[in-house]
Amino acid sequence: MSLEIAITSEANNGKRISIAGSLDSNTAPELQQNIDAEINDSVDTTIIDFKELDFLSSAGLRVIFKTKKIMDNSGGKFLLVNLQPQIKKVFEIIKALDGMSVFKDQDEMDEYLTAMQDKVKDGE
Amino acid sequence: MNDLLLNSKTICINNGLSESEKISSFLAEYVTANKIPDETHNELRLVAEETFVNIVSYAFSDTETHTIDIVLSSNSREISIAFTDAGTAFNPLTDCSADLDNDDHCDGGMGILLIKSLTDYQEYNRIEQRNVFTLTKHYTK
Repeated sequence: MSLEIAITSEANNGKRISIAGSLDSNTAPELQQNIDAEINDSVDTTIIDFKELDFLSSAGLRVIFKTKKIMDNSGGKFLLVNLQPQIKKVFEIIKALDGMSVFKDQDEMDEYLTAMQDKVKDGE
Repeated sequence: MNDLLLNSKTICINNGLSESEKISSFLAEYVTANKIPDETHNELRLVAEETFVNIVSYAFSDTETHTIDIVLSSNSREISIAFTDAGTAFNPLTDCSADLDNDDHCDGGMGILLIKSLTDYQEYNRIEQRNVFTLTKHYTK
């Protein structure tokens, strides 16, 4: 079972990490390497896109939590989008969704990001 | 539960993490042959991965290659997966507790929490210097 990883740039100094396939004990190190190379405290928003992810184990969860920690420590945003039901269930079992910004799809996340940007503009 | 044993298949693998793909293939073949629902399959795949990773991580203190036997059994209501290894005594149910108070969730206990949540029975026995860990899950076709 393999994992496909695509890391792309987003507006406002953001990065989107799209993962497809299986994030497990064999593939988690590869994702960690990619994240280590691309995500640091200069990134303002990190989005993990689970749209094509079929399988997630605790080894994969650790990589996700580690990434969240980088963003939390730097004051950046950490967003999860397009969680399939079986993936969402894994997060729910370990009670990890509290405190996470989770969006059911791209539209819902865009709405949130637009509102955040408007808030920043209003504050200027 | 005796009728479970009438329909069992066994695979023997080594204690290397890359072997988890063999478990996935073995499980996929078994559930297809026995018409086990997809949801049960997916959850059992996660349970099998978490159990295997725990055994590989904690049951062997040396760097030698060891074998782990995995037996799948089922009837029309339940499917079970049993792991047997000759490592040091290791009960995943008690020796690997979940620590979800930990902010970063980085302790190894997430796996056992997933195992307990996604199966209906969990049983550990130490038999003739071997760890036998059996997990059973109900399903409806």
